[in-house]
Amino acid sequence: MYTPLRIDPTRALADINTFQRKLAAGMGHLRNMREPDYANTPRELVYSEDKLKVWHFTGTTPTAKTPLLIVYALVNTVWMTDLQADRSMVRNLLEQGEDVYLIDWGYPDGADRWLTLDDYINGYLDRCVDAVRQRHDLDAINLLGICQGGAFSLCYAALHRDKVKNLITMVTPVDFQTPDNMLSHWCRDLDVDLFVDTMGNIPAGLMNYVYLTLKPVRLNQQKYIGMVDILDDPVELENFLRMERWIFDSPDQAGEAFRQFIKDFYQGNKLIKGTLEIGGQRVDLGKVTQPVLNIFAEQDHLVPPDASRALGEHVGSNDYTQLAFKGGHIGIYVSGRAQREVPPAISAWLRNRD
Amino acid sequence: MAPPADFSTPDFLKAGIDADFLRDFQALAQQSWDAWLRQQPVSTGVGGSPSFAAAPNAAAGNEVLDRTLAGLKSYFEWMQGVTAGAAGVPGADWQQQVQQLFGGAQQPFAQAFQHIDGAGMEGFAGKWHSWLQGMQPAEAMASGPTPAFGQDREQQMQRQALAAAMLESMQASARYQALIQRANTQGMQKLQDKLAEHAEPGRQIESLKALYDLWVDAAEEAYAEIALTDEFREAYGAMANCQMRVRSLQQQQTEQLCQQWGLPTRREMDTLGERLQQVRREARASRASAAVDHSKEIADLRREMAELRRQLAGAEAKPVSTSRTATKKAPAKAVGKTSRLAVKKAAAAKPEASKKTTPAGRSAATATRKPAGKRAAAARKSSAARTPAPRKRK
Repeated sequence: MYTPLRIDPTRALADINTFQRKLAAGMGHLRNMREPDYANTPRELVYSEDKLKVWHFTGTTPTAKTPLLIVYALVNTVWMTDLQADRSMVRNLLEQGEDVYLIDWGYPDGADRWLTLDDYINGYLDRCVDAVRQRHDLDAINLLGICQGGAFSLCYAALHRDKVKNLITMVTPVDFQTPDNMLSHWCRDLDVDLFVDTMGNIPAGLMNYVYLTLKPVRLNQQKYIGMVDILDDPVELENFLRMERWIFDSPDQAGEAFRQFIKDFYQGNKLIKGTLEIGGQRVDLGKVTQPVLNIFAEQDHLVPPDASRALGEHVGSNDYTQLAFKGGHIGIYVSGRAQREVPPAISAWLRNRD
Repeated sequence: MAPPADFSTPDFLKAGIDADFLRDFQALAQQSWDAWLRQQPVSTGVGGSPSFAAAPNAAAGNEVLDRTLAGLKSYFEWMQGVTAGAAGVPGADWQQQVQQLFGGAQQPFAQAFQHIDGAGMEGFAGKWHSWLQGMQPAEAMASGPTPAFGQDREQQMQRQALAAAMLESMQASARYQALIQRANTQGMQKLQDKLAEHAEPGRQIESLKALYDLWVDAAEEAYAEIALTDEFREAYGAMANCQMRVRSLQQQQTEQLCQQWGLPTRREMDTLGERLQQVRREARASRASAAVDHSKEIADLRREMAELRRQLAGAEAKPVSTSRTATKKAPAKAVGKTSRLAVKKAAAAKPEASKKTTPAGRSAATATRKPAGKRAAAARKSSAARTPAPRKRK
């Protein structure tokens, strides 16, 4: 009969000693480190309105005929797409010859509390698309929607079909009530009217806390214990801190848009039921007839793969492609595998439809 | 270290390390840890000693560091506990030992879940609870709602409602915490199941970190199972809704205080914001609508103008009889009057010639500055300059 534990006490003491030593030495490095920058790929401002900005990435000569506008989620900042030089989806897309634009939604404050999904989708997003169309003198451009931004892009493509040439959705929830969707499960009994009426805008800290409690031990503790091992590696430590910056430097959510998103998407699952209305217009996924590339992550704990796969059953396009990525919700942008696989796949798909 | 011959008890319990040495080492490690912590900018608890609680009231800049250090501290203490157990409980059953390592007050799970039921809410509610207690007798808090009278009736009722909501919120949090505790218990069982799979040579757990990682896997699995139950969903929703109810009632009281002090209230600001946003929408819709109407009108006018210019250009190159026809067909306001005047002037100056050569354009003066062909070209150019270029199509 064997026991599963075979821990050598001498080694255990050495582990404790090493842990303390690394921590003590590493904290010195930590104190001397400055706030890590994002990749900051060269860009120019081409449109702004309220707190929103549309950036055009520069420095390369695009070979694609049609520009690509990235529509990020309202939660977290857009810089996940351009996190650091060797982990930048934007930079990789540029290298593939794409002409890349990005909507930076900014940080809503009390003045933005009454912005609705209609304001975001038929207002801000539509005007951003128009700005890019006008710059290129085109009727339609390519959209790349990420997570919640993917849901917005689907709505937009259904409501403004003539302005979207090709649509790419990444880690985008479509069926919001798959059995493994923990976020959806938790908010099903939430009195969202009371919540928004009381909170106004939804604080970023509260949103982050909810995300952390999806995997509380891993995200609140194990991650930082792992950090001790890299405290003596300046490069790895900087990468770690940059990711921490991105995770916790988040915008608040405009109250009314949050109310509608939770009610209609999460609680009502109206996007796939065909009962969703934005600005008084029904959103019918069957009207998304443009070519669609749907990319999802197989280990995504925020948007389970089945939530994304559902798009194939509801979209009206005859040219629908699905791509499963071996990774998580964040890894799909920043992992080494992602750099090798995702931007080239996007670009190749677009080139066949340019 | 060579494998022990007898595997009936965990080999790490058969340590050849002296217990006194271990105690000394632990004391030294603890001193070292505490000394190091004193150098860190952590929030302080009672008496100025480092506080490893999740510290909801900590300054924002220290929040992440506090949380990080709390996690590291838990892990450190857990490692010490495991190592102490190695020398302290010889002959114990490994399953009991695992229970002790992960089930006590120091188990790292507790830290990971600290304040899970109230991100930033606890400190806020705590302050209000103190305030509320100061506003009314304790027995009123405990005895529940009673009928209120007189001038302060509304305020009394509101305070009672707030007290009741706080009580309800605490009960909802307790229900939620019970589920977290259940996840903890089930995590322990899962850990033992996972460990049992390692009870063979070559698969044994040989380091503290490996044991900890296995525990994390087990804890997360158990938590996920509970978190996806209907019971958890209801408890979660109830807890969030109760906290919002408390906060809403607190805001109500704040509003009243602000009104009494002549300060603008949040409700007033919200009303203004809502109205402003509505006005912005209406203004934008109005501009868009006007832009559509004008663009159509402008396009119609441009088409008309282009037609007239074509006619004018054609008339210059043809005999008078043709130009007269063109003049008749052209709209009277802009073209007719001028052309008639031009015809009269021209006729007065050169009666015979005017019948043959005076164009029916805008004016005789214009008509004579350029040859007909050049004028027509200029007209086309002008028209093209005002008309948007056709979009490229793919």
